[in-house]
Amino acid sequence: MKTSPDIPLVDNENENCIKVTNLKKQYGKEKPLVINDVSFAVKYGTVFGFLGPNGAGKTTTLKILTSLLNPSSGNVTIFGKDLFKKQSEIKRKIGVVSQNPSFEANLKVERSLDLYGLLWGLNDRKARKDKVKEILKTFDLESIKNSKNDELSIGQRRRVQLAREFMHDMDLLFLDEPTVGLDPSARRMLLDYIKKHVKSGLTVFFTTHIMEEAEYLCDEIAIIDNGIIIAFDTPLGLKQRYGRMNKSIEITFKDNLNEPFIDILKEIVKENKKASDDELNYTYPEITLKGENAIKIKVNDIEKVISDIFLVVPKNGMEIENISVNSPSLEEIFLSIVGNSKDIFNKI
Amino acid sequence: MKFTEKYVFVWGILLLLYRNLFAAIDKMFFIWQILFPVFQIYIMGYAYSALIGDQGIKIGASSISYVAFLTTGMMGFNVMQGSQIAGTIFWNDRKNGMFHQILAMPFNKIQYVIANLVTLIVIGLTSATAIILIGLPTIFQDMNITAWGISYTIFAIVAGSIFFGSFTIILSTKMKSSETYNVFSNGLFIFFIFVSSVFYPAEGLPQPLSAAFYFNPLTYIADITRAGIFSQVDAFTNLEVLALTLFSASAFVIATRAMVKLQI
Repeated sequence: MKTSPDIPLVDNENENCIKVTNLKKQYGKEKPLVINDVSFAVKYGTVFGFLGPNGAGKTTTLKILTSLLNPSSGNVTIFGKDLFKKQSEIKRKIGVVSQNPSFEANLKVERSLDLYGLLWGLNDRKARKDKVKEILKTFDLESIKNSKNDELSIGQRRRVQLAREFMHDMDLLFLDEPTVGLDPSARRMLLDYIKKHVKSGLTVFFTTHIMEEAEYLCDEIAIIDNGIIIAFDTPLGLKQRYGRMNKSIEITFKDNLNEPFIDILKEIVKENKKASDDELNYTYPEITLKGENAIKIKVNDIEKVISDIFLVVPKNGMEIENISVNSPSLEEIFLSIVGNSKDIFNKI
Repeated sequence: MKFTEKYVFVWGILLLLYRNLFAAIDKMFFIWQILFPVFQIYIMGYAYSALIGDQGIKIGASSISYVAFLTTGMMGFNVMQGSQIAGTIFWNDRKNGMFHQILAMPFNKIQYVIANLVTLIVIGLTSATAIILIGLPTIFQDMNITAWGISYTIFAIVAGSIFFGSFTIILSTKMKSSETYNVFSNGLFIFFIFVSSVFYPAEGLPQPLSAAFYFNPLTYIADITRAGIFSQVDAFTNLEVLALTLFSASAFVIATRAMVKLQI
């Protein structure tokens, strides 16, 4: 059983913007560990995706990294400095967009951006005014700049919350499910804006439920479940590592399928199940009939199954009309990894 | 703490103070802070004066009119009333996500508490000045402003703001919802108002009630404010200063600890 993948804690300290070592969090002595011995590192100038189902420990980890919460044990260094000793110094160089909305209800959008800039130490009035103008334009907020935050829709308020964070310069940005409530164009605009900033050196710690976003934005992804990191790789690496096991084949035959032949196919799939020895990465093989002459098979070892099918097809007087192999999306991989980790936790 | 760290700490408090005054407080609150004392002084003050008659109320060695007594009492009352804003700022910040956001910025919980208290002190001093100006016709005859006396009044307002601000912060951190907070604070504030020397003096009351007045910091705030305005500072006033200092310092320490311990 593999529950904690080997996550490289890059040796060269200068490469790590964030380094988390053996982090644990427990809300009470008798309570279970919410974060259980988590270690990972985030390199400078990259987007680190932190994915996991609800209650997996994402937000707790983020709260610890933004010094809103103290851990039960473990070390965190940010910019090479101990987070718990150099908290205020570190906080001056980070930005945080939390999952929950935050806004100054009594202020108009323009004024609230200005105030936020001031709170962040942008003391020069002219510079602040210019920055507000730029942010209003970039985030398409000009039409609502004179509306009070209280009067905005949830999506508009979210846009203001995101825009506000770019009022100040930072080296590290924590984004906790930032696109919740945004329409697709605002979502894409935000992701592209972040990408642009990453190119100029910003490091981003990004939690999300939306796999397309993670795939689009992240350089590396860690998947956390039950307080343990169960997978870590680049989006492509995850796909290669876990996707190989979760591909599906769709085969269309020239003639209609008959019962004895379906039984032979089921036997091949069953053999594939026996052969699987990687419990975590294993997706139960499935065989589904698609009409009268087609089947869809989800298997772990696709090459083996295809070669076995090719052997039995002519022997049974069948002919293949079309065959397609589908790679799983990151979402399917995520569901597979998290689903299997749940199976393992249930067994424990 | 190094000088630069001290500077950053104090500057952070000033920034949060600015934010509290211009963003976190509804303008209607300021208007109410002025309107309410006007109503109390000119309607209640003269109505009760008609009932009481011409007999004065003894303050130290002198005697003042009821309406002058009430006007100076209202300064203390306003300090307490204004302190509700500390709880309101905190609850609104929690409700609107700003508490979490501010603490993710380069500010800590102690700066947040102090900024809220300084906000109250500013509101307390401003509304006290407004009450003096509005109520000037009522206290003009009896008042005797000296630098020494006015320092007592300012102390009462500052220490009173710290006490009541800390008190509402303690309540806010202990209560699970803003509704429970409102029920508790309103109930306790009724005790503070009516078992105090804001509307009537402690002298001449039944002994247990009179003693209860002196378990209430609002009595000290009202008494010290009056002693300052009417230049009637005596040994007892100094004892009250000591008691109010102890009340305020204790409340501040408890409020800070409660805030630091608060789970976000």
